[in-house]
Amino acid sequence: MDQTIVLLIAIANNIALLTLISLGLAIIFGMMRVINFAHGEFIMLGGYATVLSANHGINLWIAMLVVAPLTVGLIGFVVERLIIRPLYGQIITTMLATWGLSIFLIGAVTTIFGNTVLGVSAPLGNITIGVYSVSIYQLVLIAITAALVGACLFVLNRTRWGLIARGTVQNPTMASAIGIDPTRVYAMTFMAGAALSGLAGGLLAPLSGVIPQMGAAYIARAFVTVISGGSAMVIGTLSAAGILGPTVAILSYAATPVIGEAALLLLAIGLLRVLPRGISGLWQGGR
Amino acid sequence: MKLSRRKFLGSAAAGTAIAAAMAHSMPAIAGDTVAVGSLHDLTGSLDAFGVPSHMCMKFAIEEINAAGGLLGKKIDLKTYDGQSDIKKFPQYAQQAALNDKVVMLQGAITGASREATRPVLRRYKVPFVYGTIYEGGLCEDNAISVNTGSDQQAVPLLEWSFRNLGKKVFYIGADYNAPRNIGIWNNAIAKREGGETVGEEYYPLDVTDFSTAISKIQAAKPDFLHSCLVGGPHMSFYRQWAAAGMLKKIPIVSVVFGGGQEHMILTPEESDGVIAAYNYFQELDTPENKAFIKRFEASVGADHPYINGIAIGGYNGPMLWAEAVKKAGSFDRDDVMAALAQNIEWTGPGGKMILDGKTHSTQQDVRIIQVKNRVWSLLETKSQIPPYDFNGRCNLLENPKNVDILNPQV
Repeated sequence: MDQTIVLLIAIANNIALLTLISLGLAIIFGMMRVINFAHGEFIMLGGYATVLSANHGINLWIAMLVVAPLTVGLIGFVVERLIIRPLYGQIITTMLATWGLSIFLIGAVTTIFGNTVLGVSAPLGNITIGVYSVSIYQLVLIAITAALVGACLFVLNRTRWGLIARGTVQNPTMASAIGIDPTRVYAMTFMAGAALSGLAGGLLAPLSGVIPQMGAAYIARAFVTVISGGSAMVIGTLSAAGILGPTVAILSYAATPVIGEAALLLLAIGLLRVLPRGISGLWQGGR
Repeated sequence: MKLSRRKFLGSAAAGTAIAAAMAHSMPAIAGDTVAVGSLHDLTGSLDAFGVPSHMCMKFAIEEINAAGGLLGKKIDLKTYDGQSDIKKFPQYAQQAALNDKVVMLQGAITGASREATRPVLRRYKVPFVYGTIYEGGLCEDNAISVNTGSDQQAVPLLEWSFRNLGKKVFYIGADYNAPRNIGIWNNAIAKREGGETVGEEYYPLDVTDFSTAISKIQAAKPDFLHSCLVGGPHMSFYRQWAAAGMLKKIPIVSVVFGGGQEHMILTPEESDGVIAAYNYFQELDTPENKAFIKRFEASVGADHPYINGIAIGGYNGPMLWAEAVKKAGSFDRDDVMAALAQNIEWTGPGGKMILDGKTHSTQQDVRIIQVKNRVWSLLETKSQIPPYDFNGRCNLLENPKNVDILNPQV
């Protein structure tokens, strides 16, 4: 019984992790068709923002939930202005430019903060489930991810801002004809995506620590999740995470972690072979 | 021309005199120095290993020079930065051998950089000194290993653990050859000590989420956890282990924890109680080590990186090599390596070391140590652990041609 509960927590944890690291990328890719190769580095910067501010005496929760998204959101603003905007519509060029940005950010962080792991301890302690004990922070992380998904859906579907953003993505010319500035919408969207990535980095920092190259550990899985999810950004990403996460968790548990990781890729390839437009190609229309 | 005895003696004497004069003038031509190379990763992702090792090596050369040099010559340390990039290693090894004419080169800490460097130095007959702890199995006439092979750490540590912590072990390691070799030892010692391996898991080096690993370990209920997790991403394991409240429940033993300065990077709440085994740790309370640290800090200042069991190889390597040079009375590769047959003995900060002529590896003390509040303290000293000879397969006196890396068969 307790083993089942712990396994369920591990599964939920895997879904939450995949969702968390993919949301920012999904928003930017889904709304703007910008393939952001520096996504992993946005996560890394969020982690650094959290660890550094927490180590300078700021409350850890504020550091994770406020400082990290704010910092990376601002960086996203600058990046959009300098790199993304001039190249808008040129998918390959943008991809190369963000790849360059990713290398630059790794180099810059290495130069400034050194090539060592920094970290903060996870808060909240642990609870005991039978013979197992589980970190409470891990459970909170699952809850926060669920709340984030809810918030994204709400903003996109139920607010004026979400309506404007979706409208602009569908038809920028029409949007500008009725007085909406698409440039501004894109800037806001990119900032929001960057802030989400920063938040993910902040939330992951107590679990993984931070190191300049940490983005590489996340970017492949984030891309796999987003592409498997298809065009419905939030729901698609969530459903991809909901299929890939448990597979990895169960196979890592039953077999070895290497098989779990390999299964993630094989499953994603299989999914895209059967559903070339991603999981959300099944129903389409939803966000 | 008729050669009288007197004439012959005269010209022979003159010839000898000229030859003697030439021999004397040789060092003047070559200068009064001899070059030695340090090839460590001083920048890039592996600098945490390279920089302290290089510092220790530089200090060893300073001390040799301060004591009058070797065979009347001062040593000129040539420093090459491997930049955590495998391609740089053979290039710099070649430059060191051909351009800078080094008589010894030390460094190349990772297994991959070692394998890239070793053949180049072999070709140009430059002795290669390997200073780090490693998986074991280096058995080559041109190379000497002055630190411990994994068995020299893992066997004493596991024996101690099975006697003091319990019979059930769970082994978790990074997925490459060194942790897998140590896994072989783990299971062999478990069997020998009447213990049991209740789980064995290998994780790719970039994994940062260990939640399934932790529940697996909890389900297996080991008496202790044997960890060979390596590198920055894997430090996440210790964070998540502590966050799940396991650090106080199941003790961790490791032959690599601390080698990447894990005890300084993790907080005490995430690392207190971890047990490791090394030939050396900076807090070691012996007169030799106290004196060493004092001299070292007089040279580099008190604000230096922690000197762990890997970094100390940077100091021990040149010292053991210098002993061999003195025995040989020559810097020539063949003479120095021939002198190794006499089992070079030297006492350093970590105690007595004997460089074994058969394996070119080093017998030394190994210490079981435990960390608390970022400070290591001694639990037990295992005296003079000999290098493993791979059941007789490594014998460079009988088979000097071997260059293959040997794998344990236990």
